[in-house]
Amino acid sequence: MELIMAVLAGLLFTAGVYLLLQRQVLKIVFGTALLSHGAHLLILTMGKLNRGQPPILEKGIEHYADPLPQALILTSIVISFGVTSFLLVLAYRAYKTNKTDNMEQLRGSDHD
Amino acid sequence: MTNLITLPILIPLIAGTLFVFWRKKLPFVRMGTQIITIINLIVTAFITFLVVQNGPIILETGGWVAPYGIILVGDALSLSLLLTTNVIAVAAAFYAPFSLDRGREEHYFYTFFLILIAGVSGAFLTGDIFNLFVFFEVLLMASYGMIVLGGTRQQLRESIKYVLLNLFSSILFVTTVSFLYSVTGTVNMAQLSERVGQVNQEGILTTIAILFFVVFATKGALFPLYFWMPHAYAKPPAVISALFGALLTKVGIYSILRVFTLIFNGNIDYTHSFFITLAGFTLIFGVIGAMSTNNIKLIIAYNIIPAIGFMIMGIGIFTDVSLAGSVYYLVHDMIIKGALFLLVGAIAIVAGTSDLRKISGLIKNYPLLGWLFFIATVTLAGLPPFSGFIGKLLLLKGAFENGHYVIAAIGLITSLLILVSVMRIFINGFWGVSMELPKEKRSIKPLYVPITFLLIFSVVLGIGAEWFLPHIQQIGVDLMNPSVYVDAVLKE
Amino acid sequence: MLQFAVLAPFLTALLVPFFFRYIRQVHTGWFVLPVPFLLFIYFLSQMGAVSEGDNILSVVEWVPSLGMNFSFYLDGLSLLFSMLISGIGTLVTLYSIFYLNKNEKLNNFYVFLYIFMGAMLGVVLSDNVYALYLFWELTSLSSFLLIGYWYDREASRYGALKSMIITVLGGLAMLGGFILLSYVAGSTSIREIIGATDVVLESPYFVAILLLILLGAFTKSAQFPFHIWLPDAMEAPTPVSAFLHSATMVKAGIYLTARLFLIFGGTDLFFLLVTGFGLLTLCWGSYMAVRQTDLKAILAFSTISQLGMIMSMLGFGTKAAIFAAIFHIFNHATFKGSLFMVAGIVDHETGTRDIRKLGGLMTLMPISATLAFFGAFSMAGVPLPVFNGFLSKEMFFETSLHIESTSEFVSALTPIIPVLAVLGSIFTFVYSMYFFFQTFAGNTKGDLPVKPHEAPLGMLLSPIVLILFVVVVGLLPNLINHPILTPATAAVFGEAPEKHLKFWHGFEPQLFMSLAVVALGTLFYLTMKKWKVIYNWLPGRMSANKVYDFIYNTQFKIAEKTTNTYMTGSIRHYVMYILIFLVGATGVTLYVTDGFVISTDDLAPISWPEIAVAVVMAIAAFATIVMKNRIAAILVLGVVGFGLSLLFVFFRAPDLALTQLIVETVTVALFLLCFYHLPKLDTEKQPPAARTLNMIISASVGILVTLVAIASHSSKKFETISHYFIEESHHLGGGDNVVNVILVDMRGLDTLFEITVLGLAALGIYAMIRLRKEEEELDS
Repeated sequence: MELIMAVLAGLLFTAGVYLLLQRQVLKIVFGTALLSHGAHLLILTMGKLNRGQPPILEKGIEHYADPLPQALILTSIVISFGVTSFLLVLAYRAYKTNKTDNMEQLRGSDHD
Repeated sequence: MTNLITLPILIPLIAGTLFVFWRKKLPFVRMGTQIITIINLIVTAFITFLVVQNGPIILETGGWVAPYGIILVGDALSLSLLLTTNVIAVAAAFYAPFSLDRGREEHYFYTFFLILIAGVSGAFLTGDIFNLFVFFEVLLMASYGMIVLGGTRQQLRESIKYVLLNLFSSILFVTTVSFLYSVTGTVNMAQLSERVGQVNQEGILTTIAILFFVVFATKGALFPLYFWMPHAYAKPPAVISALFGALLTKVGIYSILRVFTLIFNGNIDYTHSFFITLAGFTLIFGVIGAMSTNNIKLIIAYNIIPAIGFMIMGIGIFTDVSLAGSVYYLVHDMIIKGALFLLVGAIAIVAGTSDLRKISGLIKNYPLLGWLFFIATVTLAGLPPFSGFIGKLLLLKGAFENGHYVIAAIGLITSLLILVSVMRIFINGFWGVSMELPKEKRSIKPLYVPITFLLIFSVVLGIGAEWFLPHIQQIGVDLMNPSVYVDAVLKE
Repeated sequence: MLQFAVLAPFLTALLVPFFFRYIRQVHTGWFVLPVPFLLFIYFLSQMGAVSEGDNILSVVEWVPSLGMNFSFYLDGLSLLFSMLISGIGTLVTLYSIFYLNKNEKLNNFYVFLYIFMGAMLGVVLSDNVYALYLFWELTSLSSFLLIGYWYDREASRYGALKSMIITVLGGLAMLGGFILLSYVAGSTSIREIIGATDVVLESPYFVAILLLILLGAFTKSAQFPFHIWLPDAMEAPTPVSAFLHSATMVKAGIYLTARLFLIFGGTDLFFLLVTGFGLLTLCWGSYMAVRQTDLKAILAFSTISQLGMIMSMLGFGTKAAIFAAIFHIFNHATFKGSLFMVAGIVDHETGTRDIRKLGGLMTLMPISATLAFFGAFSMAGVPLPVFNGFLSKEMFFETSLHIESTSEFVSALTPIIPVLAVLGSIFTFVYSMYFFFQTFAGNTKGDLPVKPHEAPLGMLLSPIVLILFVVVVGLLPNLINHPILTPATAAVFGEAPEKHLKFWHGFEPQLFMSLAVVALGTLFYLTMKKWKVIYNWLPGRMSANKVYDFIYNTQFKIAEKTTNTYMTGSIRHYVMYILIFLVGATGVTLYVTDGFVISTDDLAPISWPEIAVAVVMAIAAFATIVMKNRIAAILVLGVVGFGLSLLFVFFRAPDLALTQLIVETVTVALFLLCFYHLPKLDTEKQPPAARTLNMIISASVGILVTLVAIASHSSKKFETISHYFIEESHHLGGGDNVVNVILVDMRGLDTLFEITVLGLAALGIYAMIRLRKEEEELDS
């Protein structure tokens, strides 16, 4: 199962990176969202899947899933949420001020 | 006593948070920020003194023992960078009120600024690789907040690139942490050092190391990963550029320095010779960039890159002398880049433009500014007796004595080109026929205070090198001997 | 005491602005004049002791950790230079008081000049290589500032930058040489390094050390082809030219070569390089001097040529040659210093230095003319006992005939040397005559900017003193032999020469060489107009200057071009570079270190519902790419997110699932909110090549991530630290939900700062929406 999840994460990265290489801001933001999903999936996969019970202690249960990756993912999800929201608003503002959402038209030069 | 080590993080964090609620009371917030940065500087200086006297301070946060909880490690390397950070923070706190406009100040500049300092301090102090990621995010988020502040057309244009590339490297960062966790089962840096050492950094570990390198090198603006940096750093107001130029990329370099001495030291031939090659390209392309433009802020921004090249060169050569050189250069470069950005900011104010082709003859009306700039330029180029020379000498010694002639030669030639690229600002901007100056502008008199403050540190770091050098040489020795760090943290 | 001698000019420089500011009635020069004079007296007083071999050493520690100290050492060689620096420094200061008006920026002038003086003393007195380097670069910088003294002139700025680039380049090379030298010899003290000469000679770095250090010496002492900065340095005020660019700074390279002669001297490479470049510079400099029309330019090329001559004598390497070199260093400083001052006087009193406009000044300025006569004829080496220049020039000829070498290659070259020596000297004779007669003889020409008259006495005083030296040393050379020349030669060569100086040696070959120079020189001077066409094809259009200009200008063009090719501003390019580097670096590493492993031993069983979710997620992810409709794209993106939270449920991570669900919902809402304001997805596709590239890159990133993930998962080598969390969660953390305990307690710091990030994002968004500066101030 871990191998399949690794492949799925790879696919998410592929799609995410492809979107990152697009011209339109919105697509690029989509790309980052897919990349974060891929990363979070990987963290969980790296801590072994489907071993034991959810890490909520109960009497009589010996084996639990690795809680540390879960904690790390939680932190990471919240952070990516913050950054993605920020990026989205930034994209919107950049579009409003620069009158374009095409990143190829936002190249700029040394002196402007 | 060990709890002291949290103060450099908590003081600015708490102050920054509080200032959110007083955003309209600018005089109070300005003065508050200045006082806070000074207090923080004093506290850091005191902690540094303790660390130099008694060895590293280890704090197990929340009382959770290493390697399970998050550990803060204040060793001599961390503290020397922390101290430098706070020196720059003080300068920025005194520069900002006289250079920023009211709008930016009211829209939480001081909060972003203080939390940036908290994030940078945290990154220097943490002994936990995932926690390092979190602090990276803190300082990046603060920098995002600052870089868009004001929302001018060009600022937004460059910041969207800045945010995107940093976001990508952050995602790569967590992914890589998860790989490393899978192999080693830990995120504590001391234990990572131990465990990676136990398996001689075999198998996938070197690949993971390179992934980390890519992550940090993107943040640290190394060739060929620095493209986002020059324009993004040059567009916001000078004080923000100064903070970015002095602190942000340096956190990336610090991370490379830490991770590739402490954890991934098992395949030096491969990883570190790769670094030397990249250092060479970084030096060359960075200085080429600095020579390619007439925008004075951009010239300085590009000059960040060759400096990074010098530091990576020291890490690549990997001897105690060269590492000490990297650390010395790091400290020197933080201060001088801060000072230079503040200086070009002042030049742009008096000239009304940052296009070098439109500036000339300023020295007639602004001799002090001119001579401060001249000293900064000479320092940047690494001519003695100023601070750049000491670091560069250590690096060159390391290079020559270990047979890395090509990189040493590149380093020497780059030094000359750095001098030319920045001296151009002096020759064209300060010399020449006096230009017509814009009528209405702010007084730059108050700006001399923070600029001089930084330059004094820089000069002292050069002329008074003997006060610092033995400690920094010791840092070099300790970095070559990671068991010092590991034993201190894991108490073995 | 020596350290105070070096320090004194620096301290003086610090005080200059106060004098200039608060005592404007008196020319600032008067305040600083006593300093070099007292220094001169001090060095004079040491002469007796030093000539007895009592050298002085004084050390001030600077950075002992790096072996970097201010250790000053006074022996014969440094004494000679120190006396030149302080002596000519006094005369130049005196001269400048009359040369520069009180309304000039005297504060700048004297600050730079005295920084230079201190630095130059530092160069010649330092025994420590790093201290020497420090002072060396300081002389370059102060020279830069002095050349750019009249900074509103384009030519001054050009000359200043050029001199700085070339001399700093040499300085950096020299630093490289010093680092290697001190590494090989195991010491940073020059005397100790000389003591370890054998080690240095046998070291594999010897050639590199020699080349690097000579590059430093050659650039500073304006040896061909690095001489090009010196003529442009003539933009500096004339006192500066007399001081830095003829008497002292340009001799720093000579000094360095002499100082390290004990190490390098005697090797073939040293002989070839130093003699070769020296003679080449001698000939080229004197040849080019004839062509100049500016008085100072003639003198500049003359200086280049004379430096070449001294350099070549150091290259000869015999005891007599070293002695001659030392003697000529002294003589050159006297006659060239005075000639520069005369040129300055002419400029000052007539308003021009263009030799074509000058003539017949002898009657109007008789004293200056007399001074110029002695200076120029001494420089030409006219065989009369009143010209010191003749004595050393004749020794130059003599030594050029007696080069000793064991190497066959060198011996084969020795016959050419006297020929070149004579050739260079012929042109030296020509330009000396040209300089003197064109300016002072003949008829006066009209339309000079200023009506010429003799200079005030104060201005004449300094050149008179120098010319007195020319004449007295010419008549009684042994006056300075024992006290100055012999100890200096001994310091360079290691043993004292037993030389008695005299004018008449009998009919020796060198006399005929001198006579030939005079005869041919006179002929050439008289027929100058006829053969001057030769300059049209040599150098013709070629010049080292053009090479410099070309390099200087192209480097910026190349820099701009190169940078613009990759700094396109396009985010797509930047992402692409980073990804290519990422894939390349990690891919190669994975391959080289043989990092990929796959093990199927310890895997969770495959379960179909999970696979179904995975497939849906994958499809949804790729659907995001092709969707044309914004809402549809946002919704499929949501499918990926919700799919992920479903996977979290399957994989025993309830907290994650919950969080992911909430976050995903809010994100989708945000997207929907934003898309309203953003334009439609564009249907125009990127060109096929770009799309293929995108596909290749994204596929390789995906593959790479998968491979590394599999390899990492397959090489679990240690037990994770998680067992601790499960064991201690209840007991120490007081909670049964281990993930929650980790978040709020064990890794509480993470959570604290995660919240900080969220808060900052909120503030940032708020500020971004509220504060919209228009294209206002360029900077603030």
